[in-house]
Amino acid sequence: MDKNLENKFLEELDNHQNIIHKVCRTYTNNESAHKDLFQEITIQLWKAYPKFRGESKFSTWMYRVAFNTAISLYRKNKRDLDTGPLFDNMKELEYKEYNDEQDKQLDLLYKAIHSLNDIEKALALMYLEDKSYSEIANTLGITEINARVKMNRTKTKLKNILNP
Amino acid sequence: MAQLENLKNIWKNQEEEKIKFSKDDIFKMMHQKSSSVVKWILALSILEFLLPLPNIFLFFSGQKSDSGFIEKYDLNVMLNVYYIVHVIIILGFIFCFFKNYKSISADTSVKSLMDDILKTRKTVKYYIYYNIIMAAIIGFHMFFKVFTSASFKETIPEDTNMLVIWMLSILMFFIVLAVFWLIYRLIYGFLLKKLLRNYTELEQTN
Repeated sequence: MDKNLENKFLEELDNHQNIIHKVCRTYTNNESAHKDLFQEITIQLWKAYPKFRGESKFSTWMYRVAFNTAISLYRKNKRDLDTGPLFDNMKELEYKEYNDEQDKQLDLLYKAIHSLNDIEKALALMYLEDKSYSEIANTLGITEINARVKMNRTKTKLKNILNP
Repeated sequence: MAQLENLKNIWKNQEEEKIKFSKDDIFKMMHQKSSSVVKWILALSILEFLLPLPNIFLFFSGQKSDSGFIEKYDLNVMLNVYYIVHVIIILGFIFCFFKNYKSISADTSVKSLMDDILKTRKTVKYYIYYNIIMAAIIGFHMFFKVFTSASFKETIPEDTNMLVIWMLSILMFFIVLAVFWLIYRLIYGFLLKKLLRNYTELEQTN
């Protein structure tokens, strides 16, 4: 594979890795699964990268591949044992304890999102990221009307979870 | 929805994730092998293409068994014809499977990817149906040739009820096919449960 392409991909992914972390934190609830899903998303992004023509923003394209991996391709608990050596040189990975009220609320929000189903999780994340209905419909492959209906249902469900 | 709007602000203000990978880590990750559900489908499908059920019977076609079973009941021509037909059909299935498999990419909408995975899966499903039907046809044909042959009638007592032999053979044969079907259903049920659930959720319009 072209070295330039590899470097360009690394640069772009490094700049936007926060997006993948948000998807991973939405779809997993422990550090090991988070790393595992991050790795699978990276593999799928790299596999699809030669076809990326820049018609959409890199971040939009990234969301699409990340959701596809988390929803349809990822299988849990498969590589927990052999991920170790990959991360030898890494900094401390633990989520820090939340240090203020905002972190506490964010943590509660993630907990609420965890109780949604896989499709609703994607909807909730795209709602929080302020994506347009047309982009949501495009990412999921459904009509805009259907996206609106599903979004309303997801928001109501999320609200009910947060205010039982 | 006021509270959700507030949460949106909290979401936006969230710090950079506390987990951050270095470029080195990302480089190592991108060159790892994927172990997605599609890889599992590929591995299982290859196994199924290698171990098709009618081969249990067709295996005998190229064999000169010690007991001379094939020669004794004159099954050679029949099994060779089935063998040629079977190989042509299998090659057709393998071609369709790989064509569908190659079209799977995460670089598409969530629904399209699910459709592509299910399409690939469907090829294998039809292949299994074909195998069960083919196994049934070859099995019954073999029973018929054996039970109506003079050599078979010589080996059983004269007062044997042929109806009972037929019924017992068919019953045992059905049990073998049912077990095969069940194993196949269980494996794929386990593998595609999540995908089918999400597909239904996505398709629901109200």
